[in-house]
Amino acid sequence: MVNFGLLYMEIATAALGLMLLAWGLLVPKRERQGIAYLTAAGLLALLALAWCTRGAAGTVLPGYTIDLYSIYFKSLFLTAAFLATICSFDYVAKMGFNQGEYYALLVFATLGMMVLATSGELITLYLGLELMAITFYILVAYRLDDPKSAEAGIKYLLLGALSSAILLYGFSLIYGTCGSTVLREIGKRISSGQADFALLLGLIFVIAGFSFKVTAVPFHMWAPDVYEGAPTPITAFLSVGSKAAAFAALIRILFLGFDNQAFLWLPLVTVLSVLSMVLGNLVAIPQKNVKRLLAYSSVAQGGYLLLGIVSASLLGIGAILYYAMIYVFANMGAFMAATAFYNNDRSDEIKDYAGLARRAPLVAAVMLFSVASLAGIPPLAGFPGKLYLFSSVVARDYSYLWLALLGLLMSAVSVYYYLQIVKAMYTGNPAPQKGALQVSRGMEVAMLLVLGILFFLGIYPTPLTNYAFKAGETLFMP
Amino acid sequence: MPDSQAVFFWLLAALVIGSALAVVLLKNIVHSALYLFLTFVGVAGLYILLHAEFLAAVQLLIYAGAIAVLIVFAVMLVRRGDIRLSNLYSIHFLPALVVSLVLFALVAVAVGRQLWLGYLAPPPEEPLVSLARNFLGEYVIAFEVAAILLLSAIVGAVLIVRGRRRSAP
Amino acid sequence: MITLNHYVALSALLFCIGLLGALGKRNAIAILMGIELMLNAVNINLVAFNRFLQPSQVVGQVFALFIILVAAAEVAVGLALVINIYRRRLDTNIEDLNWLKW
Repeated sequence: MVNFGLLYMEIATAALGLMLLAWGLLVPKRERQGIAYLTAAGLLALLALAWCTRGAAGTVLPGYTIDLYSIYFKSLFLTAAFLATICSFDYVAKMGFNQGEYYALLVFATLGMMVLATSGELITLYLGLELMAITFYILVAYRLDDPKSAEAGIKYLLLGALSSAILLYGFSLIYGTCGSTVLREIGKRISSGQADFALLLGLIFVIAGFSFKVTAVPFHMWAPDVYEGAPTPITAFLSVGSKAAAFAALIRILFLGFDNQAFLWLPLVTVLSVLSMVLGNLVAIPQKNVKRLLAYSSVAQGGYLLLGIVSASLLGIGAILYYAMIYVFANMGAFMAATAFYNNDRSDEIKDYAGLARRAPLVAAVMLFSVASLAGIPPLAGFPGKLYLFSSVVARDYSYLWLALLGLLMSAVSVYYYLQIVKAMYTGNPAPQKGALQVSRGMEVAMLLVLGILFFLGIYPTPLTNYAFKAGETLFMP
Repeated sequence: MPDSQAVFFWLLAALVIGSALAVVLLKNIVHSALYLFLTFVGVAGLYILLHAEFLAAVQLLIYAGAIAVLIVFAVMLVRRGDIRLSNLYSIHFLPALVVSLVLFALVAVAVGRQLWLGYLAPPPEEPLVSLARNFLGEYVIAFEVAAILLLSAIVGAVLIVRGRRRSAP
Repeated sequence: MITLNHYVALSALLFCIGLLGALGKRNAIAILMGIELMLNAVNINLVAFNRFLQPSQVVGQVFALFIILVAAAEVAVGLALVINIYRRRLDTNIEDLNWLKW
């Protein structure tokens, strides 16, 4: 008998989204601000639910298993969605329309990520992926008064649809050679037979399709334009949520379905990782726009995360889980600061950040410590994350030492361009007519929270690493 | 003497490939849209050959009936300038041609080397029942997710098409 | 005798034609058409595998139905975006995607 009770997280998230949609139609226009608070409260409640029931485990359907791995990722998505919601308060209120739909779509995107990260079956996985993607196409184009936003939307849609078509062709070849869409079944069939050429081709298509979602070079070309054109909170959510969800699914596919095909996908993933680290970091250097800079930095971060897959070990998977969570806080912190600045000055250019430290010490500090964490400078949380990732690669095989060294070198390069923002904020002089930044109370609390977490996990990462490694272990359980 | 299956297959294959090529190569987007409709009908025919009658009906209703018509509408709504030159190649056309040909060669090799262990048993007695059982059984999560996906898409499409309407403060 | 290989080859050809349209065209609507061709190729693959390899089941058909559904949603949102952009840029050429800074 199917145990639908285990779907409580998905059901509760869907209910929250539907409620927001209905709420947006029912309440009078003046009181719509309440929807934002309701969303934040709802997401926080869901997060608490995920934490309290983290012991839940079991199989709902043959290809849909609730385990700690999926609950870990659900908490990650909910955290990201919660921070994005707080980020959106002022931003969306200033847009001044269709707030209910905005937050409902945000919650539906979260639901798509949850299904994507939980599903061990290709059809359900595809539906989760598309729910996430389609809601993001809409959200990216949500700044209806800005032509850049709609252009970013159509660009994201065309490339996203193209990548899912490629992914689907891979799925169809896998289905054709294995006769099943359940990943564990596929894994069993493959280990019993020999490697078919069509199967390997299917796997290549699948990796190409997912590379698009995790913005690995050379499938990253959409990222800068889309990140720049989208509403800033959505950019933040897109860069952490959709990337983490795609990683969750990719890890599941590679390790459950294609574990003994590693001879093929390992070199591919290594190449993607190297290209992403090198190109992402080098192209970020000349950027003048904060959102574009963070887009290239996010390409590079995807490269670091791919290192965990290259290591093909529990240590590597745990490191990915840990780093993905840290990445949520660091990247959301940076984007929160960018949103606060944009809400006041309507600009994303680095040169306009001059003297921000004097106008808004907290915003500048959040930006400073977030990018420092992204660069992996101790004692911030990014440092242990990178340490785990790089050491997992070396632990696999000393011949991969060069990969870890390359990662280190590129992290050093990244310090340079992150410093450009910091330099502008702390040494530049603000334009004389510019006063202090107006930052809402909710945003200030969230910024302090992010700062606290970045420092706490940098100094004492053990609680989160334990959780992450336990979650990684459940993936390998039969 | 070729059997009727083979005759139908080759006819439909010629229809599908020919009209698909026309979709891509023609320079008038209205013609492309019409050939797209024809491709969809041809694919529906292939589904009937494969004993997937319900899928053929869905293909005709949704692809040929809804998507193709939607595309024709969009073409008409955003039409301007000389319609005979409305669907030009981009500067990437030659690289795209090379990529496509290489990919086709790769897949053809893969297909050619593969010995598919195919056997033709009679299709399920009642394919519709079997489909329904799958939709509401093994794939019920995907089914529910699809419902929310359609809802989001409808809401989003209406929002985007309507564009900015400033609400009174 | 028509074998599974015939169908897979047909699907591969259709997929590559669709890819050519998606990569090599300027008009956003034409790119969407190319992607629809690719999705149809995937569906032919799925239904053919279903028919020849697992005739007693309908998994491939279920997958194909879901793909048709998602494609419809995607096209609806995509065309909405195209119309939105067209409205705003009456003075420029919608067919020209160069403003997207590819």
